[in-house]
Amino acid sequence: MRQLEADNISVAFAGLKALSEARLSVTPGHVTGLIGPNGAGKTTLVNVLTGFQAPTEGAVKLDGESLVGLAPHQVRRRGVARTFQGGRLFRELPVIDNLEVTGVGLGLSRAAAVAEAQAMLDWVGIAPLADRIAGTLPYTDERRVAIGRALMGRPGYILLDEPAAGMSAPEAAELAALIRRIATELNCGVLLIEHNVGLVLETCDHIVVLDSGAVIEDGPPEQIRASETVRHAYMGTAADSTLPVLEVMQ
Amino acid sequence: MASFPKVKSVALRTISTPLILSAVLVVLALVTVAYGSRPFNQTMIDIFVRVILVTGLYIFVGNSGVLSFGHIGFTCMGAYAAAWLTMPPMMKELSFPGLPDWLKALQLPYGPGAVLAGIFAGVFALIFGRILMRLSGIAASIATFAMLAMINTIYANWESVTSATNSVVGIPIVRTIWPYLIGAIAAVFIAWAHAISRHGLALRAARDEPTAALASGIDIPRVRLVAFTLSGAVVGLGGALMAHSIGVVTPDTFYLGLTFITLSMLVVGGIGTLTGAVMGVVLLSLLIQGLRWLERGVPVGESTFALPGGLQEILLGVVMIVILARRPSGLFAREFVWPARLGARRRNSSAATRNVPAGDA
Repeated sequence: MRQLEADNISVAFAGLKALSEARLSVTPGHVTGLIGPNGAGKTTLVNVLTGFQAPTEGAVKLDGESLVGLAPHQVRRRGVARTFQGGRLFRELPVIDNLEVTGVGLGLSRAAAVAEAQAMLDWVGIAPLADRIAGTLPYTDERRVAIGRALMGRPGYILLDEPAAGMSAPEAAELAALIRRIATELNCGVLLIEHNVGLVLETCDHIVVLDSGAVIEDGPPEQIRASETVRHAYMGTAADSTLPVLEVMQ
Repeated sequence: MASFPKVKSVALRTISTPLILSAVLVVLALVTVAYGSRPFNQTMIDIFVRVILVTGLYIFVGNSGVLSFGHIGFTCMGAYAAAWLTMPPMMKELSFPGLPDWLKALQLPYGPGAVLAGIFAGVFALIFGRILMRLSGIAASIATFAMLAMINTIYANWESVTSATNSVVGIPIVRTIWPYLIGAIAAVFIAWAHAISRHGLALRAARDEPTAALASGIDIPRVRLVAFTLSGAVVGLGGALMAHSIGVVTPDTFYLGLTFITLSMLVVGGIGTLTGAVMGVVLLSLLIQGLRWLERGVPVGESTFALPGGLQEILLGVVMIVILARRPSGLFAREFVWPARLGARRRNSSAATRNVPAGDA
């Protein structure tokens, strides 16, 4: 079965467990949501899935084949793309070159990479921005460019790390539509990490909830909406949610 | 709806930079030939050699953002390789008795010798680079410095092959300016071709945002290695031509002094641009020359105005500090381009601004 799978991933930083036996899977054509309070380990999980962080235990599998031990650029070349919180665009380069860089990184010639970059800008709906210097873009455009860049080479999977942070409601709705299109039109498997729980509930086919590094709930949006555990994780007092972490640190 | 202004190929859009820089070099050469004074000719040859060295340095340092203190080691290798390839066999028997017989018997013209010397240096850059390019930042810079010290120590001690610290004499001296001009122009075009290649683009992306470059599929050590090898070959070629311009080499000709002057020229000119590399050399060299001239004394009416000896170095240091304080990214943070191109660019970007969807502000 085609899927990107986190199989019992644990990550420990100097004794502090950032993830413990986390599992999730992303399938082509579907949007999977990953939510959880701050410090739950969401970004760490994305880093593990994309080769930026080696798991202490467990395996990352792409269509059944292990990705553990591969460098980030090798994971990307196998079709697992990601975006970053805050965009991380090549700020000195024009927008189109930002996309071209990925084309070149994936082995295309510059001419072929430019052609694909133009097609991708068009598909995302940001063609008029092509010649703007990336560092001068407003926040929301920056996010869309980052998504366009990650979609170069039509990856099988894309991991979006808080793409809606700082967006207004109409902007977030537009983004949600784009995310649905990525899944349906490109048949790409999407993992959406978001603080905006409303956006995740509306956009995702399936949602995984992380708390203190462990998966506490996993199911369709209705199930998550109704879950007592999730409500507790989010609504629990500050003291409650930090207690387990403090214990581990001592 | 998509109207992409970018129709011309990358090469066509950027070719004006190497063409303008080459034109500057050609004009300098023509002025030199028209003047005809021998010291001035030698000064200009020195400038062209340094253009090759600094442009070669730029290929790696400018595009990767990793400061290298080691490139002059490859210059040393190029210079000695040129000596091995072009000296008369009898002189080689005296200076390099340990060379293999076939090499001792060989005597190439300086042109092919210089090209082979560049390739020789490039091969060693490839070997060193395989190890060094895994490092980043300060660790990488210090490692290149260690490499320079290693190369210097080997060349200063391997008596039978390098004549150790003795001056190697008998390298054919080339006094005409044209081969140096050709070498400098070749270096400029090699640097340009690399910068616009997919490797150059990927390397600059990795310099500006390494994490995103990895997530874009870029193998950072590999694109760095490509630049390091190419830049080692270019500074090796520069070393060969430098050997032919002075006729005498010692290992210490290619050590700290040359390392710091070439790095200074690159930094003052503008570390991130080819224009900065070439113009940094030209302007700083002319400044050095002017100060030397003042040191020697200029007749003013009946008396002679002369700077106290040694003031040249001090003034040069002051000028460099002032330039870097005023313009931290160097004198030429932007490439020379045709003026028409600037106009086109401005139109495009303002058009793009108008098309930004409402509600972004």
